[in-house]
Amino acid sequence: MSRLRRFLRTPEALAGAILLAVLFAMALSASLLFPGDPQAIAGPALLPPFQNWSLPLGTDRLGRDVLVELFHGARTSLAVGLAAAATALVIGAVVGTLAGFAGGLVDEVLMRITDAFQTVPGFLLALAFVSVVGPSLGVVVVAIALGTWTGPARIARAEVLSIRERDYVAGARVIGMHPLEIAFREVLPNALPPVLAMSSVIVAAAILTEAALSFLGLGDPNRVTWGGMIAEGRTVLRTAPFLSIVPGIALLLTVLGVYLAGEGIVETTAVRRGLS
Amino acid sequence: MSLLTVSNLTKRYSRGGKTLAAVDDVSFHMEPGETLALAGPSGSGKSTIARLVLRLIEPDGGRIEFEGDDFLTLRGAPLRARRGRLQMVFQDPLAAFNPRATVARVLDDPLRIHGVASRSERPRRIAALLERVGLAADLAPRAIHEISGGQRQRVAIARAIATKPSLIVLDEAVSALDVSVRGQILSLLLDLQRQERIAYLFISHDLGVVRAVAHRVILLDAGQIAESGDARAVIDAPQSAIGKALVAAAPKLNRNRP
Repeated sequence: MSRLRRFLRTPEALAGAILLAVLFAMALSASLLFPGDPQAIAGPALLPPFQNWSLPLGTDRLGRDVLVELFHGARTSLAVGLAAAATALVIGAVVGTLAGFAGGLVDEVLMRITDAFQTVPGFLLALAFVSVVGPSLGVVVVAIALGTWTGPARIARAEVLSIRERDYVAGARVIGMHPLEIAFREVLPNALPPVLAMSSVIVAAAILTEAALSFLGLGDPNRVTWGGMIAEGRTVLRTAPFLSIVPGIALLLTVLGVYLAGEGIVETTAVRRGLS
Repeated sequence: MSLLTVSNLTKRYSRGGKTLAAVDDVSFHMEPGETLALAGPSGSGKSTIARLVLRLIEPDGGRIEFEGDDFLTLRGAPLRARRGRLQMVFQDPLAAFNPRATVARVLDDPLRIHGVASRSERPRRIAALLERVGLAADLAPRAIHEISGGQRQRVAIARAIATKPSLIVLDEAVSALDVSVRGQILSLLLDLQRQERIAYLFISHDLGVVRAVAHRVILLDAGQIAESGDARAVIDAPQSAIGKALVAAAPKLNRNRP
């Protein structure tokens, strides 16, 4: 409880938490508030915002309600961001743990693979993967994770290298525990905190990558995404800039919220560990 | 039949191009139910011998026979199965446990891995083990970091005896405990030895404790055996230079002697 209070006392963390809460509320309420197809035509095309209160944020080139698209886009952004980060963290933690714990040839092979992935820019990798496999939500998630798992893998490995020399790992061997059980039950959970500290940065990067992919037309075509909305608005940027600006601001606030809240969590847990 | 026979055990480390023998041609044997102390200054190789005997590190040469089998040729599952007979208690009882563990989980692991008790039977076995080492059974759900150092070392002993071993390596097992707790843990260990005929390989730099609990002692210096024999005889009248130095460095011994 005191940890939560300390978290909420930091203004940045609080701001981040509020932004995230609003985003989650938007994502969760999207189908309740605006049921039906978000891509359905709702009114005249290119209606500017704050003109018609039944369409408060106006309409796009085809007359679709921007507010509805924004709410439904929040779902995609959040889902892709969280799923891609989770995938990257799981792959990274597992690869890093195996490499660090096994050592020797396994370590060499796994780390050279990590190097190979790290030398290719993550966005190019995602771009190439989606254009080969074809755009769908799952593919986009995997594509983003492919470019981001190397960071967590390196951090997990470094942490595991120090943990595997501890007495309790020797103790687990002495009682005859299987090496895989030692790696994943004794070592991995203790190597996780610094890896998880990266998650806010990874989630933020994943949301941006997803938006960039959608902007280039490589997002899931059956879903509204903020990146897709910006791309859509680009063609009428001079006459109706709000079509790009509105989802752009949403994207900015989301990434900011994720980052601030994540930093706040890292800060409060670091303080807790420092005190104990 | 000897319980443990170590012959010509050697372990070298290379540091900066030079090889350094941490353990150099060491041979000794142990009988069931006996306490053999390995004593010596820091860096004399006593902890390395303990880790070699436990197969935590691999030797560069020599043989280890445990309960009549060549222990060094065992690998994988047969080695893990045999580990139940040869246990260890570490110096720092906090570092010896996973920081996330509870007392129950620590004791559950050996029972589960070696199939000592079925899942439904294990809570009862854990309670019995805790009582065996003088702890209350309701300590089981507590986290390891919540209990005191002395209690933790008792839990470590409970974990070591869970699989009914014939040999327990005690690597400075009482050195980190405060004096009043140390006496209690030592008497618990002696008590267990009397009842279960467990042999102890007792690693310590404290000759006072060695003299009190060990039957025989081996004094090590720079990886080699300097002197060995009956614990009291060796410590009361050391012959080797390192033995004399070690005894001289522990002046309280003379004062405590009746």
